[in-house]
Amino acid sequence: MFRRQDAGVLDLETPRDGHLLEVDDLAVEFRTDYGVVHAVNQIDYTLDPGETLAILGESGSGKTVSALAIMGLIERPGRISNGRIVYKGIDLLTLADREHRSIRGQEIAMIFQDALSALNPVFSVGNQIAEMFMVHRGMSKKESMAVALDLMDRVRIPSAKERLHDYPHQFSGGMRQRVMIAIGLALDPDVLIADEPSTALDVTVQAQIMELLASLQSETQMGLILITHDLGVVAEVADKVCVMYAGKIVEKGTVGDIYDRPAHPYTERLMASIPRIDQKGGRLDPIKGAPPSLMHIPSGCSFHPRCPRARPPRCNEEVPELREVALGRLSACHFAEEVLSDDG
Amino acid sequence: MSEHDPRRGRDTIVEDEEEEEARPGEGSRATSFVPAEGATAAAAAVEGGASTYQASLWGDAWRQLRKNPLFLISGALLVGFIVIAIAPGLFTNIDPAGANCDLGNSVDRPSRGHLFGYDIQGCDYYTRVLYGTRVSLTIGLLVVGFDVVIAIVLGSIAGFFGRFWDGTLSRIADIWFALPTTLAAIVFLSVVGERGLLQVSAVLIFLGWPTLMRLMRSSVLSGKEADYVQAARALGASNWRILRVHILPNGIAPVIVYATIAVGIIIAAEAALSFLGVGLQLPNISWGLMINAAQNRILSSPHLLLFPALFLSVLVLTFIIIGDALRDALDPRLR
Amino acid sequence: MGRYIARRLLQSIPVFFGATFIVFTMVYALPGDPIRALNGERPISDSAQAALREQYNLDDPLVVQYAKYLGGLAQGDFGETFRGRPVSEILLEKFPITARLALLAFAFEILLGLIAGVLAGLRRGSFMDNLVLVSTTVVVAIPVFVLGFVAQLVLGVKLRWFPIAGVLDGWYSYALPAIVLGSLSLVYIARLTRTSLVETLKSDYIRTAEAKGLSRARVVGRHALRNSLIPVATFLAVDLGALMGGAIITEGIFNIPGIGREVFLAIRGQEGAVVVGIVTAGILIFILMNLIVDILYGVLDPRIRVE
Repeated sequence: MFRRQDAGVLDLETPRDGHLLEVDDLAVEFRTDYGVVHAVNQIDYTLDPGETLAILGESGSGKTVSALAIMGLIERPGRISNGRIVYKGIDLLTLADREHRSIRGQEIAMIFQDALSALNPVFSVGNQIAEMFMVHRGMSKKESMAVALDLMDRVRIPSAKERLHDYPHQFSGGMRQRVMIAIGLALDPDVLIADEPSTALDVTVQAQIMELLASLQSETQMGLILITHDLGVVAEVADKVCVMYAGKIVEKGTVGDIYDRPAHPYTERLMASIPRIDQKGGRLDPIKGAPPSLMHIPSGCSFHPRCPRARPPRCNEEVPELREVALGRLSACHFAEEVLSDDG
Repeated sequence: MSEHDPRRGRDTIVEDEEEEEARPGEGSRATSFVPAEGATAAAAAVEGGASTYQASLWGDAWRQLRKNPLFLISGALLVGFIVIAIAPGLFTNIDPAGANCDLGNSVDRPSRGHLFGYDIQGCDYYTRVLYGTRVSLTIGLLVVGFDVVIAIVLGSIAGFFGRFWDGTLSRIADIWFALPTTLAAIVFLSVVGERGLLQVSAVLIFLGWPTLMRLMRSSVLSGKEADYVQAARALGASNWRILRVHILPNGIAPVIVYATIAVGIIIAAEAALSFLGVGLQLPNISWGLMINAAQNRILSSPHLLLFPALFLSVLVLTFIIIGDALRDALDPRLR
Repeated sequence: MGRYIARRLLQSIPVFFGATFIVFTMVYALPGDPIRALNGERPISDSAQAALREQYNLDDPLVVQYAKYLGGLAQGDFGETFRGRPVSEILLEKFPITARLALLAFAFEILLGLIAGVLAGLRRGSFMDNLVLVSTTVVVAIPVFVLGFVAQLVLGVKLRWFPIAGVLDGWYSYALPAIVLGSLSLVYIARLTRTSLVETLKSDYIRTAEAKGLSRARVVGRHALRNSLIPVATFLAVDLGALMGGAIITEGIFNIPGIGREVFLAIRGQEGAVVVGIVTAGILIFILMNLIVDILYGVLDPRIRVE
């Protein structure tokens, strides 16, 4: 009943001096009845093969939206109001819908949290994995299911053969997430975006999933963008980190740097708020206040209402630029050097 | 056995959550950007700039309704009908009881002073049609009013106390659903002796409560599971308080929506029953009776069919539109 | 799956008994002399009355009467008319007519309803969507008998597109009443499909399907539709059951000698036994259709099967 789409891989090569994926000055807004929501506000990041980039932030920071923009999944009332998304030298935002669609799933894949709602309940998991091959590679159902079986093995689902025809609700959370990963990896994408892959899972299962992702990545050398709010997960898996707040990136750097010596008060406070096993008694130290509504972003530095280092009038009025404050470290704070030099 | 079983069909329009199994999560895209109310208030308080607004289900709904032109028009029409029902004397000073009927005027066309013409007995049709409003509205509101009260009580019991109560009440409701409405109504009404307003209403009340009860029960069942209810319990709130303060205010919403539409349905049902000859009897005035009388004269005297049919359709329509608008306004997912 | 069906079957039993008992009670136990009710206003001698009382077990307590009635039912005896004609015979004779009307109406409402609903759901807020919403609201508000008359007038008399009454010549004469009958359910179907589709399209798995790079046609046609049609399918099954049960008003307006009309005449003629008999048959059909719906639901939605 449905014609199979363009089979075959696209002919794309990363230019010699370019990155695999480069997000440049991206802005996404949503026009709602209550006002304009600036979900993403001029952000940039890059990704190279084999690299794991973590996008860290609380809910409402805009991290998922930026990923959806890469995938071309932003729909009304949202729109990309500015920027470029360059993949292997091509600006995805200039592509026609059909071309963009052929990149989705084949070159850049995305997996989501809560696989129970993210997988179609009426089709078997084998079917949903096999669909990738039937549609994009023009393979027969039989062949596709065979490959799907291989994939299920690869993501370490036990007794895959018996479970090929089972339905999503018959699997545990961790197993479902593996199915999601299998779907994501099916066509050997060069970029995998994982949106909170372990959030809906227990801690032990979380660890397994993250480990699986890490090992798959080292096998395939794909670029991995990990979207999460979980600092522990980031520490385990990521190479570099972008910290997002209220739609903007407030700090960028390698994992080690950011965790040891943050250069932005928000990151600093995040680190301080993690309960530690060697803490005895005392109170937890959360960041006071709540993230701002993306319709009413505070003036000046968006973090200033909650920032212990805030110094009016500069922090209230002047929007800090994301600038390099040390080698390979960027921060959007007027007083980043201070933050950097204070230890811990 | 009825081509228009209101109970069954309407369930679906109001999206009755009958199934016990969970539906797939309806996560909206990019939910991460939706502002939390507390955050809005906090940020605004800090900034001192942006407006703070109190968002509650009913408050928001009212705000949305006010902007809905269909709702406003229907609301105005409804008010008009209510005025006609309460004080028909404002619009006509002819007594509908028949003192002015003159067979010589039988089925005469509309003319000056007699906007809708005359009926078969030679009575002023305009007056009779207007008085029919009172009957229809009364029955509609009475029946639904009682059914809503019964439904809230029974539905809360079934939903809240679960197990035995739920099982019994649901089984009883199932039995009611197995009865073909129109037929059952006809049967019941034909064995009742004199069919006045009260008798007809009683039968309709008797037949109509299960649908509303089911809706209430669903709301209470899902409300019971909510986190804030668990929290309230942990804080020591009594069952009564939990029901009254936490579950009912939101839980009533689908019931109110359906009840509004149900008024329209009941009005139409009474007209249908009267049309069939098993509803209200003369000397009660009912649009159904008028339409019945008109059926053999459609071509020769169309005004006999036209006016009561028009009033009936419009009245039912207003309730349906208002109900729909309410539903859209109260459904948080449709934002 | 088997256990699921068995459970539903068991639950139907008390429903059947409860519903038939209520009808039975209403017809036979309300104030008024049942013999009068059975006879109409005909004068009747004492001995004939006594004989009738005996025959209809009217001297027994109500529950016993009911039990005997059920016993008769089990043997296929749905009661008799006052003149002794078995109700089952009436049913067999009139049912095919009602069935033809029902099937035609069913086909009409599915075709138009689904198409309208899908189009409206896909393009929410568009012209088609608003058209569907408006027309469905209006059609629902106009009482069926008015609709029937108007249809008869306009389409039958004025435009002469359809024959207006009776079932003289084959299928075409069923056309107009089928359209009127189907128009109500068509409304529900269109709305239900639309709402269901809109809801489904907001689901997370639709986003996943898009992320897989599937075409819009496939995302909607395969992933969305399959899920959103589940509630519609179950509604359709119940609706078919209701249609089969006979449409009193429509049959009345268009003078179609089906079951609905039969029941109505029986009520008018105060033939209590006929009424109870036919209504019981209707309840049986209803319960059967509900069982089918439950099974259908289990087939369509795998999450239900594992219980």
